[in-house]
Amino acid sequence: MKPPACELREVWVAYGKTPALRGVSLQVEQGELLGLFGHNGAGKSTLLRTLLGLVSVQSGEVFVEGVPVHQRYPPHLRQRIGYVPQILRVDAGAPVSARDVVMMGQYAQIGWGRLPSWQHHEAANRALQAMGIAHLADKPFGHLSGGEQQRVLLARALAQSPRLLLMDEPTNSVDWQFVRDLRKLIREVHEANALTTIVVSHDAPFLAGLCDRVVLMEGGKTLAEMPASALLTWVGQEFV
Amino acid sequence: MWMSLWSEGFMQRALLATVLSGVACSLIGVLIVTMRLSFIGVCISHAAFAGALVGLHMGISPLISSIATSLLAAGVLGPLADKGNLSPDTAIGVVFSASIALAFLLLALLPGPKSEALGWLWGNVLTVSRENLWLLGITAGVLTLLTLLFFKELQAVVFHRELAAASGLPATAVFYSVLMCSGVAITASLSAIGGLLVFSMVINPAATAYQFTYRLSRLFLLSVLFAVLAGWTGLALSALLNLPSGAMIVLVSTAMLLVAVSLSPKRRFGGGGTR
Repeated sequence: MKPPACELREVWVAYGKTPALRGVSLQVEQGELLGLFGHNGAGKSTLLRTLLGLVSVQSGEVFVEGVPVHQRYPPHLRQRIGYVPQILRVDAGAPVSARDVVMMGQYAQIGWGRLPSWQHHEAANRALQAMGIAHLADKPFGHLSGGEQQRVLLARALAQSPRLLLMDEPTNSVDWQFVRDLRKLIREVHEANALTTIVVSHDAPFLAGLCDRVVLMEGGKTLAEMPASALLTWVGQEFV
Repeated sequence: MWMSLWSEGFMQRALLATVLSGVACSLIGVLIVTMRLSFIGVCISHAAFAGALVGLHMGISPLISSIATSLLAAGVLGPLADKGNLSPDTAIGVVFSASIALAFLLLALLPGPKSEALGWLWGNVLTVSRENLWLLGITAGVLTLLTLLFFKELQAVVFHRELAAASGLPATAVFYSVLMCSGVAITASLSAIGGLLVFSMVINPAATAYQFTYRLSRLFLLSVLFAVLAGWTGLALSALLNLPSGAMIVLVSTAMLLVAVSLSPKRRFGGGGTR
């Protein structure tokens, strides 16, 4: 029997003295497409950062593919997690092209002092093509629109050949037309690569049309969970 | 008379010092400019100055004590910013003010004339010693090697530190190493060419190169090229016009930056800001 793709058991995380996660427990099965829904400050992004090992766990346990990662994060596991962050504040003149950004996803796998091989370049090309942005490959990243940058970051995560894909507020700073395309794109990427995917958003219709299951968060705690199809009804009852 | 100056030993050492400090400072300068840590040059050089004063007080080599304090300052910056949840620029401001306060205190307590001590902050490229040239040469060589070996890790951290960490790169170690290497490059150059030239060698060539390219590899190459060009042109003008060499090099590199900004293809895209 396969272990869950990731699991949190009674996890507490704080920024200084302010708790951000308060005893969160969550299990995500392999192949699942999970949505994390909640207001700003609910703890959604902190939960992703906890899974990535970017914040210290005060107490509780975190597992990725059955391996404990809350004390020491094995590098091979971290290298197989694709991460698409919320907003990147990058100089318009920053010295990186879209292709450079996609290649960066593989740098940890390549290792210190080594140059990327043709397989790494091929993986980047395939990811750029899969996202429909091969024609933007040599453009400076800072010149791209919000939607194009999101595609580049998704391509970057894909080039890593991830088993787990984490996306933080992917609909921020993109227009409504791209939101529709993005939903289709994430679904396709998730299914074509047999991924486990966690998407954080405060956009209920987006998550309802995308995910299998949605977990609601508030005040650093998980509040409830439900099939994604029930999310809009729940939101309607809560806020009307 | 003017041409014969170039065969003089002091002038040849000055030309070599300009090349070596140009390589060391501009390689570090690219990282400092792209990570927006420009004030670090001022901070580290004052920490080194305070260190040199400690050495003079204690009767040990000011070069060794200045390297020690600049490494200490560089080593404090990263953890201070990270643990204190401060921007790196704020941490630099804190360490700078502490360094300059310590330097003033030690300068006031130093008996006798202060010229030797002040020479550490306002060194002269025309009086570079053989010892300084060796130190600069080793520093430039090691920094070039490190830049080549860890180019992709540096590129990832320059782009976005947290994203680099999330993909499994030791981003914090890379960032702290950049700060430490800045300390070594600035201190090695400071004792040879003085504070005024160090600031200009770190920032101006990298900022000039930044106007012309979107590729990090070209940014490193152009930055070194502009540093050497400004250094040699400044030296030539100072010899021709009989003016202070350090000031001429700084003015030439500043003029190059102004011309680059006015010609920059990045102006159309607002290259200095975030989108």
